[in-house]
Amino acid sequence: MDNRQYLQMFFDESSEYLQLLNENVLLLEGDPENEEVINAVFRAAHSVKGMSATMGFTKLTDLTHKVENILSKVRNKELHINEEIINLLFAGLDHIKQLIEDIKNNGEEVSDVRDYLNQLDDFLNRDQNSGQASVREVTAQEYDFTSYLSLSEEEQQEIAQKIKEQDAIYNIEVVLDESCLLKNVRGYMILKKAQELGYLAKSYPTLKEIEDEDFGLSIYFILVSSMFTEDMEEILKDIVDVKEVILEPSELTIFPAVKEEEAREDKQKSPKSLANIQVAPTVRVDINKLDLLMNMVGELLINKTRLEGLKISSEIYQDIIQQLDRVTMELHHIVMQIRMVPIGGIFNRFPRMVRDLSKELTKEIELVVEGADTELDRSIIDELGDPLMHLIRNAIDHGIEHPAEREKKGKSSKGTILLNAYQKGSEIIIEVEDDGAGIDPDFITRKALKKGLVTTEEVENMDDKEKLYLIFHPGFSTSEEVTDLSGRGVGMDVVKRVVESLDGQVFIESEQDLGTRFIISLPLTLAITQALMVKIDQEIFAIPLGAISETLMINPNDIRQVRGQDVIVLRDTTIPIVEGSCKLNLNVEYGKYTEREEISVVIITSGERQVGLIVDELLNQQEIVIKSLGNYLVNTKNISGATIVGDGDVALILDVRNIA
Amino acid sequence: MSKKVLIVDDAAFMRMMIKNILLDGGFEIAGEAENGRQAIEIFKKIRPDLVTMDITMPELDGIDAVREIMEIDREAKIIICSAMGQEAMVIDAIQAGAKDFVVKPFKPDRVLAAIKKIFSN
Repeated sequence: MDNRQYLQMFFDESSEYLQLLNENVLLLEGDPENEEVINAVFRAAHSVKGMSATMGFTKLTDLTHKVENILSKVRNKELHINEEIINLLFAGLDHIKQLIEDIKNNGEEVSDVRDYLNQLDDFLNRDQNSGQASVREVTAQEYDFTSYLSLSEEEQQEIAQKIKEQDAIYNIEVVLDESCLLKNVRGYMILKKAQELGYLAKSYPTLKEIEDEDFGLSIYFILVSSMFTEDMEEILKDIVDVKEVILEPSELTIFPAVKEEEAREDKQKSPKSLANIQVAPTVRVDINKLDLLMNMVGELLINKTRLEGLKISSEIYQDIIQQLDRVTMELHHIVMQIRMVPIGGIFNRFPRMVRDLSKELTKEIELVVEGADTELDRSIIDELGDPLMHLIRNAIDHGIEHPAEREKKGKSSKGTILLNAYQKGSEIIIEVEDDGAGIDPDFITRKALKKGLVTTEEVENMDDKEKLYLIFHPGFSTSEEVTDLSGRGVGMDVVKRVVESLDGQVFIESEQDLGTRFIISLPLTLAITQALMVKIDQEIFAIPLGAISETLMINPNDIRQVRGQDVIVLRDTTIPIVEGSCKLNLNVEYGKYTEREEISVVIITSGERQVGLIVDELLNQQEIVIKSLGNYLVNTKNISGATIVGDGDVALILDVRNIA
Repeated sequence: MSKKVLIVDDAAFMRMMIKNILLDGGFEIAGEAENGRQAIEIFKKIRPDLVTMDITMPELDGIDAVREIMEIDREAKIIICSAMGQEAMVIDAIQAGAKDFVVKPFKPDRVLAAIKKIFSN
């Protein structure tokens, strides 16, 4: 069978199981007796084994099988979770992951896992509480039924109790096929079937023994029955995996005894049916299809806006527009919902990493995760994994101090890393916070100077905050010795680049000896947003609503001057104002606005900064579909994208983060 | 008319595998469930001619699911999909009323042979 078609699914699902395993083994470490978790781990390992075996990945199957053995012992309370087991399990998970990576990259299992398998074997053997194996010798093939089974005096009497006039006694041997899997179960089914055919007087192995007995390929039994031999033979032969049935009348003759039978019926009452639980069925969908769907919704939206632009004065038209508006809104909403996934998906990777790294570095670190159920657009989540991992690694490596050092500073020996996500307006905020050493701005500047990233003059004009942000400079890495963790070439600049490519921002807050906080702010979604349309020099521009705190009409008299910069005072806050046309480099004469009677100002907020953007006219608020400007124009200053407006024209979207 | 089958397994991968084997064998897939609880619900609704049942599953395992399904329909035909090393559990499931079992990794002809036997009886 060609298994290639299943490969992608295998990768997807096995990595989900791996994730689950990592999480749960970690839980086990803290709560070794939790049976629910043990069972979950067992099930997941079991599933991975089944999948690997089916795909024909022998190393993976072997490995997971052995890991499952350990888990099975834990489940049966033959083993108790200790650090050694946890480490073995984690190592096992890493090997599994490696093998799957191998398959992904090379199409075969390249890694050598023999050492690990031996380690597991050693462990299992060492821990075997010398359980006595009860393997019965299966003797020569020479056929002599009585050498396997013969009836004692008592057993013969028992038959006498059961036998009826028309009954006969048979010696039966059922031979199983060599390829038979789970022989015991098959044997069990054969004996069960035999019981339906008549009275099963004796068998080797017995029904009780059969579960844990190695009985070769044959099952022997003595059956008392009134059926025709051919019928019995046929019925037995019809059982799956049965190769041969040897059936002959016994030489024994037993006459019915006088009997009084009490019909005993064991009515097994199953537990009453459990509460009705409605499980909504789910489907897996290719993410590309969702992107496509989102695109289509975008197109629909554009056309709806165009339709609205027609402004036909007809009742039917108004009605249709309203309906269309409602439907497209809902459609958009649903598509968005589908694309949203909880950020927990990537957060869950980190506990394991923190555990491993803190052990490696002999630091005591607790990772606190909050807001794991905060939802974000799938495409954003996928990109976030690496930057977050980098930030957390940095926090472990550079942030949190060694226990002794922490105690000297009067802090608890155990450091804490807080990973937090929450929604704030139309933005999602993700914070990585540690209570470690903090970042020393002067250390950063010294480094930057040494690497020639900045000049002494530039540094002199920098405040502490600006100095901190130097770590985002490409080619900056503070790690003195390159450890296994951070400082492996992937610097903070990558973090910044990824976040910015997602239309987000990174901020740093740091205080010496108190800790550092990295704040990532991201838009809820990338595709469709509400925007305020404004006119600047006859052109229409869109300003994303999320960045606008308010709009004002001001009088030229309201404008003050602070250090040569025009400002307005709004509720005791001084806000600088800038001219849109100037920011956008439009070909008009700047500064004309002071001659107007009323000036339209849009107050834009980005992070902590606020700026008033002067525009010619405020138009309307509408949903816009964000389109990228394409590779050639991607770095256009103050423009983040484009959208299509009602009349089919293109409107540019202002990059408010840069303007503010 | 082709027989309707309900596939129960917590791994979508396994369900896909079984599904394709059964489809090739001329069966109709009437439903899929990823745990015992769901299996029972779907069983009630669609009354399949055959159920393929995994053993280790979250929520409700295959053995209990077999018990409950047999309670609902004493004639239900359930075939256990087991892995090596689950002897005792398969026996439990057979005791509970499952008709037969197949062992992972699945060989299509074996699976189909087992199913055909169930229907021929």
